Amino acid sequence: MRAEEEDRILRVWTPVILRTVLAAAAIVLILGLIAMATVPGEYVDHFRAVQDNDRVKDYGNFLSLLIRAWHGNPRSIMTLGLMILTLVPLARVAFCLMFFIKSRNKAFVIFTAYVLAGLAVGVMLGRIG
Amino acid sequence: MLSILGGLLALSVGAGFVGALSGLGGGVFIVPALVILAHVPMYVAVGASLISVVATSAGASVAFVRDGWTNLHIAMVLECATVTGAVIGAYMAGLIPVWVLELLFALMMLQSAYFSLRKKGDDLLPKGCRIAERLELGGELPNPGAAEIHYGVTNLPGGFALMVVAGLMSGLLGIGSGALKVMAMDYIMHIPLKVSSATSNFMIGVTAGAGALVFLARGDVATVIAAPVAIGVTAGALTGSRILPYADVRWLRMGFVVILVLIAIEMGWRAMTGV
Repeated sequence: MRAEEEDRILRVWTPVILRTVLAAAAIVLILGLIAMATVPGEYVDHFRAVQDNDRVKDYGNFLSLLIRAWHGNPRSIMTLGLMILTLVPLARVAFCLMFFIKSRNKAFVIFTAYVLAGLAVGVMLGRIG
Repeated sequence: MLSILGGLLALSVGAGFVGALSGLGGGVFIVPALVILAHVPMYVAVGASLISVVATSAGASVAFVRDGWTNLHIAMVLECATVTGAVIGAYMAGLIPVWVLELLFALMMLQSAYFSLRKKGDDLLPKGCRIAERLELGGELPNPGAAEIHYGVTNLPGGFALMVVAGLMSGLLGIGSGALKVMAMDYIMHIPLKVSSATSNFMIGVTAGAGALVFLARGDVATVIAAPVAIGVTAGALTGSRILPYADVRWLRMGFVVILVLIAIEMGWRAMTGV
């Protein structure tokens, strides 16, 4: 497949991916803020704790975060929204990787795989601390 | 709650608005706003800013990609460099003393101010360097109803090296490093300015996303700050980008240079004195 044809397909699908994931994240974040507004003092207490340099881990593992969000925990819902937001670039690069594998463009398979691997290393480094 | 949340949202909308009008992105303004005005620790401001940069990049990229201004192939090659820098930078941000980060931030502000003053016209090349030609990185400027204008890409290794630095700064300081990215593409690789800006904006999402993932995985993202900041900065950036076509860019640019220099002085002062 020629670069121009690749470009045409990517130009159609990339905005769709960006918009969809962004809208999903915005909805979850707004829901989280609304949920927090229903608990008196919750927001202010956490805000002051952050100002006082009190490092509070917002989630242990992903499953417990999901369960707490499902039960309406405001901070967990917001953390989930932020995670979805960081999925925007991940989803876009993953789509490009699959696209380049399909179009057998080896050089760009390597480039996009490297970027995805870099993002995965970022998560691992963060978990190590 | 409403006064704090309202204040935070107002700061974020303002930062996103000014970031879009200046073309420097919201991160450059929201980090100092959170540190200086909201009295939030630097690492919290950086984490929140990185996430907001992902959101604004995604929101602003849609139109540029659809209309053909973003060179997707160049973006994917250079993202290898920015992601490498951003992951290293975000990891180091947790280890480096705050005063060093503040000093680096002040220097980046001065670089952005210099870049804003030095923006020049396009210097198009019909043919690029060998490696860029082989990867088919050149493109056509969108020009509906007229003959297409081809541009080549040169000095890919030089641009790649500067992109690692841009990624490093993004991860360390929570900014998109758009000014550094555009500089690399425009000055070093001779890519047309508007293509450079659109491509830089597109790449910023992945660069900031790499840094944001490190912060999120480390548990260093304060959701009570990051959530309203992400929503506010994105709303401000979208409003700013709608007003931009009607604004007098020359005067705006001078105003932003003054703001950037003032922020650089304030952050530099904090770094030196620890206040």
